[in-house]
Amino acid sequence: MKRSSALDPDELLKVITDDEKAQVSAKLRVFLGMSAGVGKTFSMLKAAQQKKSEGFDIVVGIVETHGRSETAALLDGLTLIPRRKVKYRGTEQEEMDLDAIIARNPDLVIVDELAHSNIPGSRHQKRYQDVLELLDHGIDVYTALNVQHIDSRKDSVESITGIRIRETVPDSILERAGQVELVDIAPVELLKRLHEGKVYLGDKAVTAADGFFQEDKLTALREIALRMTAERVDQDLQRFSAKKDEQPWQTNERLLVAVSHSPYSERIIRATRRLAYNLEAPWIAVHIDTGIHLSDEDQAQLIKNLNLARELRAEIITTTDTNLPEALKRICRQKNVTQVIVGRPTRRWFRDLLEGGSLLETLVKENLEVDVHVIRQGQEDQGRPSLSNELSHYRTNTGWEKYWYTLWFLIAMALVGAALEPLVGYRAVGFVFLIGILIVGLFGSIGAVLFAATLSALTWNVGFIPPRFTFVIDQPDDVILCISYFVVALITGFLTNRIRFHERIIRDREERTNVLYQVLQDISNSKDKQEFIEKIKSRVGQTLEADCGVILKSKDGGLLFDSEKSHSMRLDEKEQAVALWSFQNQKNAGWSTDTLGESRSLYLPLRGVNESVGIFVFRPLKKIRKLGPEQEALLFSITSQLGVSIERHFLSRRLVEAQRLKDSEMLHQTLLNSISHELRTPLTAILGSTAALESDIIRDPYVKDIAANLSEAGDRLNRVIENLLDMSRLNSGVLELKLEWHDVSDLIGVVLKKVSKSTSRHNIQVDVSSDVGLVRIDFRLFEHAISNLVLNATQYAPEGGRILVRAYLEESRVKIAVEDEGPGIPEDSVPKIFEKFYRVPGAPPGGTGLGLSIVKGIVSLHRGNIVFEPKLPRGAKFIIDLPIEEQPDVPREDEI
Amino acid sequence: MSENLRVLIIDDEVAIRNIIAMNLKSQGFAVAEAATGKEGLSLATSFHPNLVILDLGLPDLDGYQILKELRSWTTIPIIILTVSDDENVKVRLLDAGADDYLTKPFGPSELLARVRVGLRHHGHAEATPIFESGDLKVDLNKKTVTVLDVPIKLTKTEYEVMARLVRDHGKVVSQTTLLKQIWGAIAEQETHYLRIYIKQLRKKIEKIPAQPKHILTEPGVGYRLV
Repeated sequence: MKRSSALDPDELLKVITDDEKAQVSAKLRVFLGMSAGVGKTFSMLKAAQQKKSEGFDIVVGIVETHGRSETAALLDGLTLIPRRKVKYRGTEQEEMDLDAIIARNPDLVIVDELAHSNIPGSRHQKRYQDVLELLDHGIDVYTALNVQHIDSRKDSVESITGIRIRETVPDSILERAGQVELVDIAPVELLKRLHEGKVYLGDKAVTAADGFFQEDKLTALREIALRMTAERVDQDLQRFSAKKDEQPWQTNERLLVAVSHSPYSERIIRATRRLAYNLEAPWIAVHIDTGIHLSDEDQAQLIKNLNLARELRAEIITTTDTNLPEALKRICRQKNVTQVIVGRPTRRWFRDLLEGGSLLETLVKENLEVDVHVIRQGQEDQGRPSLSNELSHYRTNTGWEKYWYTLWFLIAMALVGAALEPLVGYRAVGFVFLIGILIVGLFGSIGAVLFAATLSALTWNVGFIPPRFTFVIDQPDDVILCISYFVVALITGFLTNRIRFHERIIRDREERTNVLYQVLQDISNSKDKQEFIEKIKSRVGQTLEADCGVILKSKDGGLLFDSEKSHSMRLDEKEQAVALWSFQNQKNAGWSTDTLGESRSLYLPLRGVNESVGIFVFRPLKKIRKLGPEQEALLFSITSQLGVSIERHFLSRRLVEAQRLKDSEMLHQTLLNSISHELRTPLTAILGSTAALESDIIRDPYVKDIAANLSEAGDRLNRVIENLLDMSRLNSGVLELKLEWHDVSDLIGVVLKKVSKSTSRHNIQVDVSSDVGLVRIDFRLFEHAISNLVLNATQYAPEGGRILVRAYLEESRVKIAVEDEGPGIPEDSVPKIFEKFYRVPGAPPGGTGLGLSIVKGIVSLHRGNIVFEPKLPRGAKFIIDLPIEEQPDVPREDEI
Repeated sequence: MSENLRVLIIDDEVAIRNIIAMNLKSQGFAVAEAATGKEGLSLATSFHPNLVILDLGLPDLDGYQILKELRSWTTIPIIILTVSDDENVKVRLLDAGADDYLTKPFGPSELLARVRVGLRHHGHAEATPIFESGDLKVDLNKKTVTVLDVPIKLTKTEYEVMARLVRDHGKVVSQTTLLKQIWGAIAEQETHYLRIYIKQLRKKIEKIPAQPKHILTEPGVGYRLV
């Protein structure tokens, strides 16, 4: 089937935005190697030298030459930015000086060792974050990276070399790179260089090097690097063909990975990302909170997993549901997921029994329209989690405490049972235990219910069912009773527990909705911005236990630190710097983030729809490391709501100002119109009368002479009115140009006709060069400008003298010149002639000194210039020049 | 020739009325004067003018309203007096049915020329397919244009522009009218077509193209052939 030649709009948009991104943002070039010693730094510097010879401004942010002379030689001629000295634990260390580079603002900066971790206390934890900030500032970056440091390849490299890798960079940075260049060398050659001592490995790495630098391992690493580059080339090719071909590349794939708190999740996330990268498909990482309690360690691992997914550019969804497969199915449907990636189940049988089949089983069994991938385990996480580890899932948030309470509670129930037994018989005691389990279900965890059910079944069996104090049961109906009792206890216990959990979810959700609703109420019930900001600050503070502040944007694009009134939220200089960074970079910063994490407060940029409006400061009251995902989500939704509302207030204020301006413009216009009417109507009467006096009806030469004087004065008055009107229009600053294409000779013709009465005593010559095309001007304004120049010339040029109006092209500008042969302008007056009300000393009477300044005003509105030049041997020359624009099209036609 | 032709002047300024009346009377026109819009409208029915000169800034009614009202029942030429520098106002007036306009301050010769043109186009002078003015001669029947009896070669579009101006010679023809009638309604905004063709025409028929004697530009409004 032939496809239509039109691109799919979405595809088109993608190509456009990709192109735009490439255009707008700075370029990153990564020199990728399989290991240390392949010559990345060398290649990088060589490329930089090449760039420098092309005339680019290049600085070195940080490069380690490790004393190698050939590399050091390549630093010649490149500007080194001095490193920043940082005191850390008593020693002085050096780091790249990010601020100095940004302040220097070169075209290109060289940053070696992309995977480097910065010294604690630096702005970013990792050097690649420094690089991203440099790119955000529009500075191109050359950087070097070993393949083992790439997040998604870390596992493979670890399993090949057996060395644990700590420093990694996310894959997304490679995507940001416009160019990834592989620096390749044969392993044999590398080993040779190693033996010759040409490879610097760092001080502590020498021992590890023996294990690392073996030919087979290097070959494997080389393969990874080559494959990585090949994938990249393949993708570039695809993107290219998507741009050029009439058949755009298309994928309807969407991947989903379920993320848990297991360290094993990391591997699945990486695998998904690799798959998504190769398919060029979007992917989603989902975490479902099923209500099991997580230890601090697990919580940290979960956050780490989710952050990893976020870094690898997954869409993150976290939701709460007791039924994991059900929740996954729901998300799959909502998001049109086509492939689901899960890990191989590792848990023991009892958890399957208790929690109902593994996720994999349910997903495969369910009639779900998705492919399911199962990711194999790596060596280190092949083993199952230990029994105690798995049992610890049944721990509660207070550890094992609840089990203790349950035990004591059961003992109490047993005593009650024992007391009642003589009265009601042993079977009824079972119900006493059942009540006990229901109560445990209401307060305890699943584990506690299980524990209570088992224990009470046993106690009942041993303590009450005859024969007593044995596990033996005499009567068959008692066996059935005991078993069914156990099952009923278990089910009712679970059910009450589940209801309770659901209740909690609903309550949490309701609470969140409620807070958001109240925030909206706060906003709509407030008279002004200040009021709702205060209300929201205290509301967030109460809900999330923190001190909050809002710092608004100042008019010049900075931050108004004084806009936060409460004393406790006054920021010291250091905190202000964090806030400013967050605002300028539009990223969260401070507490619990990767950027300036030492800060006491978290800074969130407040964004409206179109612009950022300020910063939200969140300072937790308690000493916690991080907000929970739900609290975080709540905070984010409140701040985004706040940002939009503040922006709306800004906008409405601006609207009022604009309206006021418009009103004043209207008033101005009305005033101008009425003045021009009021002045010109009597003028018409005067001029009409003088014309009658000048006509042949009157024969008295004396009267005719007076009439001629009157008429000249009237004309002059008319011109003064025109100039005053023009001046006030130009000054009002609200003049709207009516730009249209016009013929320069037409313009000159209209001007000469208009001023013909005043120029009758001069010899006017026009010379319009035939190559002068059309110009885009406001005709009426330009007519005034040229008229003023010509009238100006008539004032100075001697009677009968020549006035030349010329139009020609010069230096790819359109020039319009008015030349006279009068006395010219004295040299010391020249700088002032375009000033308002300036009159050249000795000028003939009758001018206002406004003419030339109006000309200048009009010409600059058209992005043009006007200059004065003395004309030799005598005279003055005013030259207007305008930019040449591409001439408009006219429909073609044939001659007749 | 103007013996039996009547002109109605509607203007609140007595000085202006006097000047216009004086000039018109000297040419033999019969003149009636109205100081307000209402008076003007009633005189328009009772005086049976052949032409109306209407000022825009009247105290009681908006000149634009009077124009519309007059146009609702008569086709007699209406010349507007305006002080406005705003071309949009002029274009709007022409669109609303005004025949021509005069911008204050104006001279008597200009006034009389407009009045004559207005009356001629309303059938008070013989209609002829031949336009002659100085060195220029256009024959709409034979489709020829000559300058000093030398035939001028025009392109089809150039001739169309010329012919359109000839048909209303002496009167302003708005640029939107020209664009619409020659290039079609979609070209209404493409004023540069006109600039280019007028430039070419002037090169062919004017002695000094930058100081035209025949095709005059009415800035922002249109062109006038004289």
